[in-house]
Amino acid sequence: MEDQINNTGQGSAGSSPGAGYTGSRTGQNLGIAALITAIVTFVFAVIPCVGLIAIIPGVIAIVLAVVGLSRASESESRGVLIAGLVIAVVASIISFSQLFVAGKIIEKAKRGFGGDIENIIRDVQKDVLQDLEDAKISIKVESNGDKVEIKADTGSRSRIEELEELERTDSLNSGTNVKK
Amino acid sequence: MTGVAISRYVPADRDSYLVINLVLATVILLVFIYSGIFSPGKDNYPVVCIHEKVTGQPCISCGLSHSLSLMIRGRIAEARTWNANGPAIFIFFAAQLIMRILFSACRVKYPSTGKELIIYDISGSTVLFLVAFFPFLINIFSLSGIH
Repeated sequence: MEDQINNTGQGSAGSSPGAGYTGSRTGQNLGIAALITAIVTFVFAVIPCVGLIAIIPGVIAIVLAVVGLSRASESESRGVLIAGLVIAVVASIISFSQLFVAGKIIEKAKRGFGGDIENIIRDVQKDVLQDLEDAKISIKVESNGDKVEIKADTGSRSRIEELEELERTDSLNSGTNVKK
Repeated sequence: MTGVAISRYVPADRDSYLVINLVLATVILLVFIYSGIFSPGKDNYPVVCIHEKVTGQPCISCGLSHSLSLMIRGRIAEARTWNANGPAIFIFFAAQLIMRILFSACRVKYPSTGKELIIYDISGSTVLFLVAFFPFLINIFSLSGIH
């Protein structure tokens, strides 16, 4: 009866394992601390931006649970401590996985930026080449009232046409030579 | 001796449940205070999104602080625009706060409730958590290559 009333956690003179009881209370307290830290860590570990930081309380929770398990006496229920440890480990794994997620994001970002830059360079190159191909140069010379205008077409079409004409004339010439 | 040990163990276990509930309720209250102190108008939130910093694009949790602040102020429609998951997470925290109070009251009022109450608590909280944080969980698994 006295033991039932005197429930302050200090242990009475009648109970032989007084020191063990204090130890178990410490284990219990550590278990509570570990479980609370682990639950809070678990909730925050899932959120992408905060998840990376959650690894710190996760490790703290694991340490608390392990210390609690080592200090808890054999008669003490270790449910809270084990629950704290399991949740802390899972939370830490989730938090640690956020590192991989962050890595993937950075990798993705690099690829994205690289791709964008490459596309811009390609577009600029295409535009410049197109402008050069379509460029028409005209030179006007004036001397003593005489005007001379020279037009040069750098367009790819005209060059192709010129080449085709040259080929035709060559084939015609070679054809006539053969006939002769 | 065994009787003594049991009489001591049971209240201690009950106490630990109450302590856990009390501390968790305090943490949830702190989250609400954080959301109440920092206002979306001033935009003075201390947490910065790494994803947005690196990529320039918003991530799944971007605007969550804004959303929770707006939910605290009762501006639900605006909260949804900041983060679509914001209202669900706010409801999760609010429900947890209510659950902590109710379950603690139940434990104090009906001390005979043993592990059943804890099992109900764990089951309910797990379901709530999975429902509220489902998009975040999917995001983690999809980006880490597990999904």
